[in-house]
Amino acid sequence: MNLNTTINHPVSGCGVGLRPQHIDQITDTKPAIPWLEILTDNYLLPGSVQQDYLFEIAEHYPLTFHGVGMSLGSTDPLNSEYFKRVKALVERVNPAWISDHLCWTSVHGLVTHDLIPLPYTEETIRHAASRIRQAQDILGRRLVIENVSSYLQYQQSTMSEWDFLCAVAEEADCHILLDVNNIYVSACNHAFDPLDYLNAIPVERVQEIHLAGYEDRGTHLLDTHGYPVSDAVWELYAQAIQRLGAIPTLIEWDNNVPELGTLLTEARKAAEVQAHVLA
Amino acid sequence: MSLPELQYRFINAIFDRDQRDAAAALVKAHGALDAVQRVGIYRNSVHGILLQYLRSLYPVCQQLLGDDFFEAASDRYIDQSPPTRPFLAEYADEFADFLHHYPALSTMPWIAEIARLEWARHQAWNAVNQPASDFAQLALLDAGQQEHLTLHTPNSAHLLQSPYAIHPIWLAHQPEDHPDKLPLERLQIQQASTVLIWRTGRRLQQVVLDKQAWDFLAAVQQRATLPELAERFQEQLAALLMNAVQRGWILSFSTDLVHSESVSCESCI
Repeated sequence: MNLNTTINHPVSGCGVGLRPQHIDQITDTKPAIPWLEILTDNYLLPGSVQQDYLFEIAEHYPLTFHGVGMSLGSTDPLNSEYFKRVKALVERVNPAWISDHLCWTSVHGLVTHDLIPLPYTEETIRHAASRIRQAQDILGRRLVIENVSSYLQYQQSTMSEWDFLCAVAEEADCHILLDVNNIYVSACNHAFDPLDYLNAIPVERVQEIHLAGYEDRGTHLLDTHGYPVSDAVWELYAQAIQRLGAIPTLIEWDNNVPELGTLLTEARKAAEVQAHVLA
Repeated sequence: MSLPELQYRFINAIFDRDQRDAAAALVKAHGALDAVQRVGIYRNSVHGILLQYLRSLYPVCQQLLGDDFFEAASDRYIDQSPPTRPFLAEYADEFADFLHHYPALSTMPWIAEIARLEWARHQAWNAVNQPASDFAQLALLDAGQQEHLTLHTPNSAHLLQSPYAIHPIWLAHQPEDHPDKLPLERLQIQQASTVLIWRTGRRLQQVVLDKQAWDFLAAVQQRATLPELAERFQEQLAALLMNAVQRGWILSFSTDLVHSESVSCESCI
């Protein structure tokens, strides 16, 4: 399989996640945004109004696809209908790349629509990598897999999360979407140094960076995507850029979604961090 | 423990509070939280995502029930009927039935009827777009084609019949002003109503139908042919048809002839 793909709109700079609250404003006023990332799962009804909007937006902005439904770590078979719909949308819109998470979201016929971490073992590396390869074969694209935030560690894990992520990416020969906020959240929740994580990531595999805001629940940090990026995450992001270079960066905001202008301000701030670090 | 066994134990804990201990045995306790609490974060997160989705689907039910009651009912619904498909927009089609059988709502059966209406609105919004026929072409059909002519409502069209005043109740809970909007306390809740929900382009619409319009559209949806409609609605047919086409309640037509080619949407626009 040739994993190289033709990209109509090359993605660079700092973009924002496309959210339903902003669609009318974006289609009406077409503000200057380097690129937009869609939540793939929201656009999988063929012939729907949502796809209408998406096709209109795709004419004006570079797009990337970001999903939660592949359930790449599940022990159920890949959901063929889900992949069929994703593939049809990919063929229609031709996004710059497709990402999903290194986790599981469904098993035994039940779907959580949430991101549940995997145990970090050799068995799971082989399992997840095999599924990612299978997904890549179906879609004809190299996938980009994202590290999730986590609130637990399994008893049977035998390695760090970063060793696990790197091994899966290597074995599946896929790209990495590095969520810097998730690294910070998990580092606080599990008391590790986020720089250990960052410094282990192979530079050549990182395709994209995510930034978002967490919520401090006192006993743990919760990755709610409902707040501005925290100062600590901005600092970690600067260190990530120092190490990785000018990686396309996306602001995610899913709860308490503010006006589009607030997201664009965050995206501009990310661009300023990049410019400052790489000056 | 194998990965399938681990995931099986974990997902059971997500949708069954009583299974949390079995999942907690898989998890390290450290820091300020024990293993049960850590599993609980995931249960709460999954339920939170699905609750947020249910709120977006059933906003009037939420207003009628109050936030706390709606959340408690949703929580029970999620455990009882967890999602089984990766397409979230397909989830919660049985929520109205669940509310209908919810013991605490036995004296307010009209709330489940509102849920039925809100689900129909959701389906109408997500319905597949389809091309419209050029109705000027109707005049060009020969007698044989007219004999087999059937009309089609949009895919988004949902006809609802309820023993309760579901449209006025729904309207009373909309933020926008509307000339027909009355507060809930001034409504005759026990008043039967027939409602049509449909979508025109990117606009979702909802209207109360009179009995004749309802009967006409119901017959159309049952694939009555033009002669059958003419026999049933007699001299009213032309006006019913014209009104339905103008309002977008009928979008296309076809002539499915036996032993010959179908004429369908030849001049689709």
